[in-house]
Amino acid sequence: MLHERELKVFVEGTTNFFEVAAQQPASIGSPYLVEEPLALHEYSGLIEVTGKREGVVCFTAPKTMLAVLLMKMHETDFGHETMRDLVGEVANTISGNARRDFGNDFRISPPRVLFGETPPIEPRPGARTFVIPIHWRSHSAKLVVALG
Amino acid sequence: MSSAAPVDRRPVLLIAIGAMLAAALGMALGSGFRLATRLREDIAAVQAASALQAYPDELVREVSGLRERLEVRAYTGRALTTLRDSTRAFSDRLQALAAIDHDPATLAPVRRRWHVYRETLAPVLAFHGEPYVDSDTAATRLSSDGHRLYANLERARLLALANTHRFGGELAAVTQGLQSSASTAAARLRLLLLAGVLAALVLAAIAAWLLLSRARHERAAQEARERTRDILRTVREGFFLLDAEHRIGSVWSDALTRMFGREDFAGLGFRELLAGLVPAPTIATALKYVDLLWGDRANENLMKTINPLSQVEARSVDPQSHEPRYLQFDFHRVTGLHGVKYVLCSVVDVTSNVALARELQESQNGANAQLDMLIGMTRTDPLQLASFLDTADAGLQLVNAILKEPARSDAEFRRKLGGLMRELHTLKGEASALELGGVAERLHALESRVSGCESRATLTGDDFLPIVAKLDELVAYLRGIREIAARLELTGDPAPASPGDSIAPILQAAAARLAAEHRKALRIECAGFDAIPPAFAKALKDCLVQLVRNAAVHGIEDPELRRTRSKSDVGLVSARFARTPDGYELTVEDDGAGIAPDTVKAAAVRSGLITEAEAAAMDTRAAIALIFRAGFSTMSDVSLGAGRGVGMDVVARTIRALGGRIGVATAPGKYTRFRIHLPPGGAAATAVA
Repeated sequence: MLHERELKVFVEGTTNFFEVAAQQPASIGSPYLVEEPLALHEYSGLIEVTGKREGVVCFTAPKTMLAVLLMKMHETDFGHETMRDLVGEVANTISGNARRDFGNDFRISPPRVLFGETPPIEPRPGARTFVIPIHWRSHSAKLVVALG
Repeated sequence: MSSAAPVDRRPVLLIAIGAMLAAALGMALGSGFRLATRLREDIAAVQAASALQAYPDELVREVSGLRERLEVRAYTGRALTTLRDSTRAFSDRLQALAAIDHDPATLAPVRRRWHVYRETLAPVLAFHGEPYVDSDTAATRLSSDGHRLYANLERARLLALANTHRFGGELAAVTQGLQSSASTAAARLRLLLLAGVLAALVLAAIAAWLLLSRARHERAAQEARERTRDILRTVREGFFLLDAEHRIGSVWSDALTRMFGREDFAGLGFRELLAGLVPAPTIATALKYVDLLWGDRANENLMKTINPLSQVEARSVDPQSHEPRYLQFDFHRVTGLHGVKYVLCSVVDVTSNVALARELQESQNGANAQLDMLIGMTRTDPLQLASFLDTADAGLQLVNAILKEPARSDAEFRRKLGGLMRELHTLKGEASALELGGVAERLHALESRVSGCESRATLTGDDFLPIVAKLDELVAYLRGIREIAARLELTGDPAPASPGDSIAPILQAAAARLAAEHRKALRIECAGFDAIPPAFAKALKDCLVQLVRNAAVHGIEDPELRRTRSKSDVGLVSARFARTPDGYELTVEDDGAGIAPDTVKAAAVRSGLITEAEAAAMDTRAAIALIFRAGFSTMSDVSLGAGRGVGMDVVARTIRALGGRIGVATAPGKYTRFRIHLPPGGAAATAVA
C-alpha cells in the first residue's frame, strides 16, 4: 500500500517540471485506482523502482500536449526525438524528487522512454495502480504509479 | 565540544621580565644621561684647570715685566692692565672650577694659595696714576707711589717665584683629579651603554617571541574557528544559544536555515523563530519553559520531561507543501562562574523517525486489527460475511468510480463528496453491525478524510490524494479478509434460501454493539423478514441497519432516564415486515424519547441547513421532516455510530429509489415509528441493488 506522502513526492516531481520548464503550473485531477492493465498515451517517460517498493512510475502524455509544452518552452523542433526527450526529462524530474525525498529507501533506475504501441502498465501482484490525471492548460496527461 | 589544555604561563612571565628589563633600561639611560652630563662638566673643568696651570708662570712673567718697566721708566699702564686682567681671569676661572669640581679637598690648597697671591697683588692692582715724577723726559724718577708700587711688585715677584712650582703642582693635581673623575664617568657610561644595549636586545627578543607566540595562537584560534565553522556547517542538528531575553546569539549551525527557511537568526527572538510554524499556545508554553531553565534550582533532567517542544508538529517552511514535519527541541543550560550564561538549544528534524514510528504503530495496529478481524469473523455468520464482502467490493468500486469522474474545478470536486459520504457511511454501518471493527474503523477514517474536504475553501485534486491512498488501504484490507475467510472456509454461498433471514442477526448484533457503546439496555424484535423479496433484501438491510442505529443512539434513553419516565430499563426496538394489499410495509418502532421538533430545528440551524428565521416559521411536521435532509445530525461529536449527518437521507433516498415512500410518527417521550411502503414489483429494486 502506498502512502499519501509517497504519492505526493511523485506528483510534485511532475507538477514542478511544468512550473519550471513552461513557467505555468500544472494541476492534478481526481486520483483513482485501476486494477486492470492500463493503456498509455503516445509518449511515456518511465522509471523502475526497487527496494522498499517495487514497480514503475510513469508519466504518459498525448502528442498534442507535448507539442504545446514545447512551444511554451520556446522550442522550435517538434520532432519525435524532441518529444521523447521531453517525457524523459519529466521522468528525470520525478526520479530526482524521489531520490531526494526517499533517499536509500528506493532504488530508482534511469528514465526509459516509451513511444507508440507499448504494452500496458500492469498492476503489481496484489496491488492496484494509482492514476493521477495531470491537467495543464486544456490538456491532460497521466501520472501512473504502479508500485507494490 | 570541549577541550582541556594546560594554562601556558610563559607569556605572562616574559611580559614581567620584559617590564623589569624596560625599567632597568630606563634607569640605565637616566644614569647614563647623568654620567654624560658629569663627563661634560669634568671635561670643561679639566680644560679650565689646564688653562689655570700655566698661570703661575704667567704671573711671574707679568710681575717681572712690570717691575722691569718701572726700572727703565717705561710706560706701565698697559702692563698693569694686563696683570689686572690676568688676575681677574684667574679668579673667575678658579671660581668656575670650584663650582664644577666635585672634589673640593683637591681644590682647597689652590684656593688658599691664590688667596695669598691676591692679598700680595692687591696693592699693585689698586695702583692708579703715574709712578714717575713728571719733570722731563731725560731724567724721569720714581714718585713716592712709584716706589711703593715697585716695592709691592718686588714682594709679589718674590712670592710668585717662590710659589710657582708648588702652585703649578697643586693645579696639576686638580687637573689630574678631574681627568680621573672624567675617566671613571666615561667607563661607567660605557658599561651602562653596554647594559642598555643588552637589555634592548633581550627586550627585542622577548617582543619577537611574543609576536611569534601571538601569531601562533591566532593561527590556532583561526584553525579552531574554522573547525567550529565546519562542524556548524556540516552538523544535521540546528544549534543556537539563547540569552535571558530569548534572543538568538551570533553563532548557529547551517541546519537552522534548512529547518526554518531563513538566515536572519542573529538577535532574532525565539518567539519570532517559532511564529507561524507552531501554534501560539505552544510558543507561549515554550517561552515559559525556557524561563524556568534560567532558574538556579532547575533540575535539567527533570525539566526534560516537561519540555513542550520535545516533539512538536511544525508547519513546513515551503509554502507549497502541506506535509507536516516534526521538530525535536532540546535545551541545555550553559553555566559560568556567575550562574547560567546561555541556554543551548538543539533542533532535530525527526519527521522520518515519527513516520517510522507511525509505520511501526500502523503495522502493530494492523496485526491487532487482523487478530480482531479473525475473532470477529469467527463470530460472524459465513453467509453474512460473504454477503458483506461482496457489498463492500461493489461499494468501493462505486467510490472509485466517483473518484474517476473527471474533475478540474472546485464545484466538480465538491460534487463528489456527497456520493462518497453516502456510500462509505452505508458500508460503515453494515461493517459495524457485523462487528467487523477493523473495517468499520478504516471506513470511518476514510469517511473522515472525505468530510474534512467539505470545510476546505477550495478543493483541488491534491485534497483527494489522501482519500485515494486510504481507499487503496481499505481495498487491500478487505482482500485480506476475503483471503483469510477463504482459508478458514468461513464464506459459503452468499445467496441464502431466504435473503431476509440474514438481516435479523445483523440487526441483533448491531443493537447489542450500540447498546454496549452507549451504555444503554435494549432488545430488538424482528418479524416477517422471511417475506422480504430478494430484490429488496440488500437495500432494506442497509435501511434497517441505519434505522436501528438511529433508534439505539438517538431514540432509546439510558436506563435511569427511562425509570424516571416509568418505562422498563430495557428499551424495545421492533422491526416488522409484512405484505399489504398494495405491496409491502416495513415498520421500525422504538419506545424511546421520540423526536423533539425544537431539538431537530436547533440541530438543523447549527448544521447550516436552515436559518433561524426559517426554523421559527417551521411547523412540527416540517421540522421532523428535516431528519431526511442530507447533512442533518443532532450529534455534536462524530463517532462510528452516528454524527456525520449521513443516514436518514440515505434511507429516504434508497426507499425512493425502490419506488416506495417513508413516513415518521413520533410522540416526545414515548415513541418514534418509521413506516415504509414499498411497491409490489422488484424492477426498481434491482436497479438499486
